[in-house]
Amino acid sequence: MSVVKLGKDMRSVSIVGVGCTPFKNYEDHPETKGTSEGDAFGYAALEAIADAGLEPRDIQYFYHGAANPFMIGDSLTPNMQVADWFGVRGIGSVHHSEACCTGYVALQEAVQAVASGTYDIVLSGAVDLAASLPVIGAPGCFRRDFPLEEMLPSIPMVYDRAYGRPLDSAFGISFDNWINDYRWTYDLSAENIDDALNALSKSLRRAAVKNPLAFYDVDFDQVAQANGMANADEFLTSMMNPKVTQYLRVSGFETKCDGAAAVVVMPTELAIARGYDHTPIEVLGTGSAAFEGSTLANEYHGTKNAAAEVYALTGVSPDEIDLFLCNDFFLASEIVAAEECGFIPRGEAWKYAIEGRTAYDGDKPINPHGGRCNFGHAHGASGVADVYEAVKQLRGEAGATQTNVNAKTAFLRGFGGGQNVRAQIIRAID
Amino acid sequence: MLLENMEPVVQKFYDGVAEGKYLGRKCTECGAIEFPPHLGCNTCGYHETEWVELSGHGTLVSFVIPGIQNDKPYLKEVGPYGYGAVELDEGPVYTFVVFCGKKKVVKNLQERLHAGEKIGVHAKPIQRVSVVKPGEPETVEWSELCFELDEAVEA
Repeated sequence: MSVVKLGKDMRSVSIVGVGCTPFKNYEDHPETKGTSEGDAFGYAALEAIADAGLEPRDIQYFYHGAANPFMIGDSLTPNMQVADWFGVRGIGSVHHSEACCTGYVALQEAVQAVASGTYDIVLSGAVDLAASLPVIGAPGCFRRDFPLEEMLPSIPMVYDRAYGRPLDSAFGISFDNWINDYRWTYDLSAENIDDALNALSKSLRRAAVKNPLAFYDVDFDQVAQANGMANADEFLTSMMNPKVTQYLRVSGFETKCDGAAAVVVMPTELAIARGYDHTPIEVLGTGSAAFEGSTLANEYHGTKNAAAEVYALTGVSPDEIDLFLCNDFFLASEIVAAEECGFIPRGEAWKYAIEGRTAYDGDKPINPHGGRCNFGHAHGASGVADVYEAVKQLRGEAGATQTNVNAKTAFLRGFGGGQNVRAQIIRAID
Repeated sequence: MLLENMEPVVQKFYDGVAEGKYLGRKCTECGAIEFPPHLGCNTCGYHETEWVELSGHGTLVSFVIPGIQNDKPYLKEVGPYGYGAVELDEGPVYTFVVFCGKKKVVKNLQERLHAGEKIGVHAKPIQRVSVVKPGEPETVEWSELCFELDEAVEA
């Protein structure tokens, strides 16, 4: 059960503007030290509005997303607290929070608001300053460090409080369950999985280094040399990059950082009539699923159902997908989700990873911005950053990491928050 | 909904575990069992379930070995363990901590499951204590439902 037959939207909706701040630790850079949530959301929103050829006064309603505004934003009503920053004081807005799936829900909700006919021009953005914590009682420019020991207690909060957490059943099993099943299904060794994940790390970091918005500016070969090792392979398999679960090494978990991103959507008909220099990107549909973390194989079930919904709705065939974006805060998701969504043949993605075929310059690109572990993960904002990257790729504006596949259609697999899943297909309009 | 028509389901479940009783809720339409218990049926989507006592015995269907990030000292103190999924004899599947008796058993469980071996497990509640308010002495005690391999006891 749970696969829903989706109805067609009342009208087609396209993305006409995107904005994204750098995904960094803002406290580490003199240009951004002291950045507040309002600053960050404001920069991303204004960039998206300008990209859409609009002014803030043209925005009729906006969505605000953040994964954990209470803890890392010292805020219960964050949508109220960013509106003035980009000149939309007084218009309606709403805050939503689906942890790391927030950014994909952001696109879905904005599209529905326009598709229904309620609004014509909607902005949807998200921000999380996840690299630091607010200084409680001080203005927004004052942040302090956010050590792992303060973050870890908050992570289980995405899991069911009635049974899941008390039975210790969600947190432990959710990291490795799907890749473990994959390993045994295809008769692979733990070394095969390790080789594939380390190859992904190299490809993704190579892309991130070329992307001015990404967190890292050194690749794994440089990291190895700085630590007296011969090359990336030696570093990635060393005790400096230990396995922290059965399969995942430190390099296979997210890089926590600060960031904000935003999109502007409008009816496709209006976008075409306005005559943009850049190609409007039509949102063909969103499939949705949510399986609580204590459910066995929840990421698998959620991905399977959400993908089935969006393919049934849109009539798009998996072989039409040119580019795959995927929340990969557990890096193994790039292998298993890409196969489940039909982007790579079953049982093959681990080999594609080793051969570099999923890199930005490969023939089956996944996360050409570097993904959560290398582009950086500003929790709620990352999904919108994925939309930003996909739109830039489909327009041919992705710069040094523009893929070679002349991408026209992209699939986004969002995942997070216990876990919510979204499967979205977007396409450049001819 | 009136007060007399409500009961705290989570409380009743944990009261049961403390007494060695494993309570689920059975769908009055399709007969599937919610374990741990919920109000509605997630198998067929029917609105009504009723209490049912379960055996507390089942088989292991999945198993993940803990690493640094997801290893828990309080579980290690009890014995070698992993994160598993259990199918109870009455049908429901849920994820639980599974104690294995010996360390070398933990390492081989995935191979045995892959080979199709039926591995029996039984309920093994462990006592937990949680502080009510940080810095104050008041605590609540409760029973965490874990499972244990049958062979760990037989050995």
